[in-house]
Amino acid sequence: MKGSYRVIVSNSNVRYDFVIRRNITIIRGDSATGKTTLIEMIGEFYETGADSGINLRCDRPCRTLGGKDWKPLLSLLHETIIFIDEGNAFLHSTEFAEAVRDSDNYYVLVTREGLPNLPYSVEEIYGIRYSGKYAGLKQVFNEFYHIYGRFDDRGSVHLARILVEDSNSGFEFFEGLSAGKDYNVVSAGGKSNIFARAWQYADSGVLIIADGAAFGSEMDRITKLLQQKPNIILYLPESFEWLILKSGVVKAEGLNDILDAPENYIESSRYFSWERFFTAFLVEATLGSHLKYSKKRLNPVYLHENTASKIVAVMDGLMDFMQ
Amino acid sequence: MLSIYYGDMPEAIYNPAIYFKNTYTDDWITDELSKAMIQDVDKSVVLGPRVIDSPVLGGISPRELSGGVKTLIAIYKVPDRIFNASACGDNCAKWIIKIGALQDITINLRHLMDFGEGEFTARILNTDQIVHTMGELVPIAGMIVR
Repeated sequence: MKGSYRVIVSNSNVRYDFVIRRNITIIRGDSATGKTTLIEMIGEFYETGADSGINLRCDRPCRTLGGKDWKPLLSLLHETIIFIDEGNAFLHSTEFAEAVRDSDNYYVLVTREGLPNLPYSVEEIYGIRYSGKYAGLKQVFNEFYHIYGRFDDRGSVHLARILVEDSNSGFEFFEGLSAGKDYNVVSAGGKSNIFARAWQYADSGVLIIADGAAFGSEMDRITKLLQQKPNIILYLPESFEWLILKSGVVKAEGLNDILDAPENYIESSRYFSWERFFTAFLVEATLGSHLKYSKKRLNPVYLHENTASKIVAVMDGLMDFMQ
Repeated sequence: MLSIYYGDMPEAIYNPAIYFKNTYTDDWITDELSKAMIQDVDKSVVLGPRVIDSPVLGGISPRELSGGVKTLIAIYKVPDRIFNASACGDNCAKWIIKIGALQDITINLRHLMDFGEGEFTARILNTDQIVHTMGELVPIAGMIVR
């Protein structure tokens, strides 16, 4: 499935209005914000339609999934937005992650657990909040909001180290940039190591660079760490390959349209997360050219001054730190 | 005292809301601490053991309380069982601390609950360490759960 879908669910008491953009969306946050009510309303609408007294509008079918028999039921669902409430222990199983990976559905999961088996984006983790009475009626209007703030602008931090999630091309790029600078670049060797490595370096200035497209499972504990350690800056582009594509260094037909609305081009059953799409796109777009890209080893052309400066320019205000 | 086990814990009750629904009694709801937790977390008023006034849903039964409050009451009323407190949002954290100050409880956490900026006392069972602030807790629990 690809595309973004607006979901409006309401009854006489409450109304939810939100947009789902990727294969995996997480809802978490405070208790009593209406997460379970939302899931129950979607389930009741599926069972009895308009007779439920619930109004649900969406261009795709919306279903709930839960209980021990989730697997055979899931195998019957296609091109569907599937909502799963907390309390379903299968959410953190490898079996469920495998089912999601090969699926053409979108998933909305209510959970505070990290779910490290699922590569979800930091951009698709939401809380639900009250946003007023709808149209002056008694109906409470609930909206989604990004639950984690940004940590890429933390004032004057003296940069001693860049901690890169990647151990291949992304790491080589930032290591190449660090030549002659008074900071060094280290690889975390994967996102699951970032917390421990960041804690190790936390007393000096650290810039963490990781793939936001799949960093969702780490976001909660990293946020808690950043709340304790003001010396850490967190920068989460979609991926290193996205930075290159965004920089304008590579020309490809339709690239701007894709970058403007990736959800319209990325088929969920083919790409478990967006960073895999951007890697595949970059490899294909540069094949046979001097910019030929490989994730395993960085083509030195990307470190040429003109090219590298365009890529770093995408990183907004972080350029100043890296001079 | 509050004891916390982080991560997978098979003996913990994973879905406390279901446990609550099938075990609660009227006196659980009319208990003064339960009423205060319902008021604070759910913004709802206990009118009687079987009727609660919710600002969004209107008159509801205890079965329709939030998963967070159900879990808090279960932790409070059944201290010899261990519940998955990741069913609670951060707005429940102060009540977990309060229950832990009243009686010995053990909870299971599968995420890094934010216990706030104040001081508290909790024993981390995974490492047998006692912590008093989030600054002490984060580096320990963050190595275990995401």
